[in-house]
Amino acid sequence: MSKKVTIRSLPSGVPGLDNLLGGGLPEFSFNLIAGTPGSGKTTLAHQIMFSLAKPDYRALFFTVLGEPALKMLRYQQQFQFFDQDKVNNSIRFVNLSAELLEGDFDRVLTRIAAEVQAYAPSLVFVDSFRSVVHSANRGGQSVSDLQRFVQQLGLQMTSWQATTFLIGEYLTPEQESSPIFTVADGILWLAQNVHRNSMVRKMQVVKMRGQAQAPGLHTFRISDAGIQVFPRAIVQPGAATGSETSTGDARVPIGVPGLDEMLGGGLPAGYSLLLVGPSGSGKTILATEFLAEGARRGEPGVIAAFEKSPSQLLNTKLSELVSAGKVGVINTRSLDLSIDETLHDLIEMIKRMRAKRVVIDSLSGFELALAPEFSEDFRGSLYRMVAELTGMGMTILMTSELEDRYTDLRFSPFGSAFLADAIIVQRYVEIAGQFKRAMSVVKVRGSQHSKDIRLFDITDAGIILGETMSGYAGILSGRPTLGPN
Amino acid sequence: METSDLSRHQMIKGLFAPHTENVAEAAIHRWEQMAAHIILIVGEDGFNSLYARSVHLTQSTFPWLAAGTLSPHTGQRFAELKASLEGQKPAQASEANNLLLLTFTGILATLIGEPLTNRILSSAWGKDASHGTSKETENE
Repeated sequence: MSKKVTIRSLPSGVPGLDNLLGGGLPEFSFNLIAGTPGSGKTTLAHQIMFSLAKPDYRALFFTVLGEPALKMLRYQQQFQFFDQDKVNNSIRFVNLSAELLEGDFDRVLTRIAAEVQAYAPSLVFVDSFRSVVHSANRGGQSVSDLQRFVQQLGLQMTSWQATTFLIGEYLTPEQESSPIFTVADGILWLAQNVHRNSMVRKMQVVKMRGQAQAPGLHTFRISDAGIQVFPRAIVQPGAATGSETSTGDARVPIGVPGLDEMLGGGLPAGYSLLLVGPSGSGKTILATEFLAEGARRGEPGVIAAFEKSPSQLLNTKLSELVSAGKVGVINTRSLDLSIDETLHDLIEMIKRMRAKRVVIDSLSGFELALAPEFSEDFRGSLYRMVAELTGMGMTILMTSELEDRYTDLRFSPFGSAFLADAIIVQRYVEIAGQFKRAMSVVKVRGSQHSKDIRLFDITDAGIILGETMSGYAGILSGRPTLGPN
Repeated sequence: METSDLSRHQMIKGLFAPHTENVAEAAIHRWEQMAAHIILIVGEDGFNSLYARSVHLTQSTFPWLAAGTLSPHTGQRFAELKASLEGQKPAQASEANNLLLLTFTGILATLIGEPLTNRILSSAWGKDASHGTSKETENE
């Protein structure tokens, strides 16, 4: 007969944040939004408030010293979520500086209680809580007073059935053995990481009682529309690279006559293919063929093109596919991207276009477009990204530029070859005083494939595979010779 | 922007046009109403600094206006302003008060925008102010 209490989850109104929280904001919870100066705490609070507040679900926003309320209103108005019509109808701002100047928590508490009683809000915000702590030190009140104050506040707000947010400036989570941290039901941590001149915003749900929050640091961006969180891709149980998620024997043709036969009948669906070759070897052309073949078969594709700006699109064939709406292009804002942001954009586009094929052109360009901080963990992030995409049933083609080496055989500068299910290598060879292109299928996980090395040409009609270089030896040295037959 | 600007002017004009007697008293009453709402949002210090700036600007036209220091005691806050206005002829006092109010609300509007300012003013002055001007605010 025992019926457990159900905790209503409030949608935060911040894109991506609900995923981080494990569903949403638990109603009547007592939360802390903490972080370094300028990390976006007040913006986050305002965005949540403006999204949730309604005439019958009102919000009370207490400002305490810190940022002057006038400036806060001035700047927060610039965001699209700031709805002036809600001010005074659903949202009320109350300044507490007079109470705080006395340095007496009890007065602050009494005032908050009185305002809450009078306005009966469903949401209460206190910005910035740090000021209260500072004034505690100044007013000679001890930490235990502060602890009592926070506990009192937490208790009162829950009894008043208000979901509460305290906003405070803290430098690191570890630095504070603050009693607030113990009392809070939820802690959201915001930070700006600076690494080699680039800045990346990150958010962490340190704690969220009763919910399975997404662990770790997640990147977010602040734009005119407000905050958008890009939950870090986490490899879900069951979503691994490779054959487990591949839908049986289904094959995805690449569309180059001869190459599909070399792959043993096309690329197995749900596989990731790494296409390696030096500059100009025809990687983007092959990727275009892959997308064009998809378009012919009614399988839309998505390309994340890092090597060219979207305005000067790749090649005519690709531009035609894009303008016909058969291929979507991910806009690659350069140099401060996070992998998760790219993945988020990719997934949005894949869902919108019901795409089946994904091209990342190229990994080298991708690495360059990322904020330096992420470059260091490129391999790991790439692994998660590929797992996520193949988990969705996508067949992926990634290109990777690799200078020809004639002394050793490499497949990827990132050591990322292991995470590809299939590898095709393109390289230049010298035959009779000419540079020729050769291509070979190196690996197709769990499938028979041709071991041939074949010459190919790039023509207006696309890629034409030529003869098998069966008579030659020393191709990988770049200077093959006709072997004695 | 123009319509909302108009409505702030109209609001202030509408509040004081009919009163020719007791200008000072009526003016202080409105100031108290407005101060209560604005102090709630921006705090005492925020209000005081806006007021000081407005008085400073208005003094170039009406040099007899008392300096912009406000008494911290609620109810006595505008005692100096009241004394200044009482020392003038009603027409002069009314004109000065209107300019002071316009300057004050103007500064507020440049900081937080006309719509939000109008919203605060109409909740401070209630029906008296919105009478006859509601059309403009709705049309924003």
